[in-house]
Amino acid sequence: MVGPLQLALDRLFGTVSVRLWLAIGIVAAGVIAAYAVMGVTSRLLDRIGVVETIEGTSFERTTNEFGTSTARIITQLSGAFTLLVAVFLAVTVADLRFADLFWGTVAVFLPRLFAALVVLVVGVVVADKVELLVSERLRGVKLPEIGLIPLLAKYSVLFVAVLIALSQIGVAVLALIVLLGAYALALIVLTALATKDLLASGTAGVYLLLHQPYSIGDEVTIGGRHGIVQEVDLLVTRIENDGKEYVVPNRTVLQDGIVRVRDA
Amino acid sequence: MTSLSDVLDGLVSDVDAVFLFSPNGSFHEQFGGIENVAVVGAENTVDAETFVELPIPFADVQDRIRFGIEGAMDDGLVGEGDVVACVGSLFADDADFVSRVRVDESMRSGIYDLFTNSRADPAVISDVFEVALELGRKGQKGKPVGALFVVGDAGKVMNKSRPLSYNPFEKSHVHVGDPIVNVMLKEFSRLDGAFVISDSGKIVSAYRYLEPSAEGVDIPKGLGARHMAGGAITRDTNATAIVLSESDGLVRAFKSGELILELDPEAY
Repeated sequence: MVGPLQLALDRLFGTVSVRLWLAIGIVAAGVIAAYAVMGVTSRLLDRIGVVETIEGTSFERTTNEFGTSTARIITQLSGAFTLLVAVFLAVTVADLRFADLFWGTVAVFLPRLFAALVVLVVGVVVADKVELLVSERLRGVKLPEIGLIPLLAKYSVLFVAVLIALSQIGVAVLALIVLLGAYALALIVLTALATKDLLASGTAGVYLLLHQPYSIGDEVTIGGRHGIVQEVDLLVTRIENDGKEYVVPNRTVLQDGIVRVRDA
Repeated sequence: MTSLSDVLDGLVSDVDAVFLFSPNGSFHEQFGGIENVAVVGAENTVDAETFVELPIPFADVQDRIRFGIEGAMDDGLVGEGDVVACVGSLFADDADFVSRVRVDESMRSGIYDLFTNSRADPAVISDVFEVALELGRKGQKGKPVGALFVVGDAGKVMNKSRPLSYNPFEKSHVHVGDPIVNVMLKEFSRLDGAFVISDSGKIVSAYRYLEPSAEGVDIPKGLGARHMAGGAITRDTNATAIVLSESDGLVRAFKSGELILELDPEAY
């Protein structure tokens, strides 16, 4: 016997197409998949030591203040992305024509946004880490201005990260890239200028150390400085004569030549 | 009625300075409110403001304290007649003794001077000491060996010596403190002659026959030709000689022709 209630139910379900059922199933599967992805990501981050590596960076500390952590932010991002992919899939399957245009754009934009966010987070963390490493390296140098160098390194990394993130979501970054190029060029030119003498002395030093045209204890004249060789290292040669120690850059050794004084 | 802590109070009352020997961080922090606290140790691990470096880990506590005070005297932290409380560890890693020491000019034995005011780097000298002590402890295949290291002022030393044989360190760039050096020096110490080491620690030569004028060199009786040569070369040059005796197994250091330091390898 067919009751009025069953009829009503049949009619209700009849209007809902099979596609919609499939879509709801996909969304449900998406939720489960998102949770799985979050679990895997957080464990992966933990396993490859990311959590320990980024400990102590200022970004990590800031996130801690907000009651979360860098690893959790990345986990949540990956989960949200999975869920969004599922929703998008569901919408496509459900064949909701009215939304085609909108979802088409979103489908292209979402992965990019996700990539941009991840690049940004990674960039901030790496920048913090670079700052820590550089300042650790320079800790022995007791100079107040030295604090500028780690900061410079940090903002350089941050700048590149922002650049990549912006280009991911399609913002015009040409001007910024030009700026980066100019910055890099300036850095290279300035470094080359500053280390010109060091490089020249260093390459001469390599020759001196490999071939040892003179060694410790020899009596030599280099660039007008006469005395006994006390030390030869990569950058300088130390010559001593009568309580005077001449520190001669190795560059002059190759420029002016060496006179070795041999006993008659 | 005096209690134990009263006795301890007497030990540390009216001291001019407190020396902490290799303290750990939390222990050092307890001294935050006390004036004239200096840390003595191999490394300044607690970021103390005043720090005296110990280049070798003296096993004997007397030597350790004496060296610390000598270093502090050189740095002008304490002077003759000052009273210093020394806190350090004797048995465990934690601080377990307090000693009250009166600073005396006679404590200045030149040991601190040997490290800090030599031509060679203090680290190089302590590295050579370590090699010599190790060599003295182990010997060559269980047999005692002797060795003579001349550290610093290598150019002058080379001009006051002759090669006994082909120099195995020719065109090499080995520095004392490199891991391979201990093995190499052990092997080469089988042959006679001195090792010449430069200010920066480069091993310039082995098998050198030193030819200083030994005239008027005053070294203790009973020491042989190796010590005589080592002592004499330090008088002629600004080098420091570190000698491992084959007969009694002690490590001795000479500077300006004088015996400065005597260490027993077995104690380290």
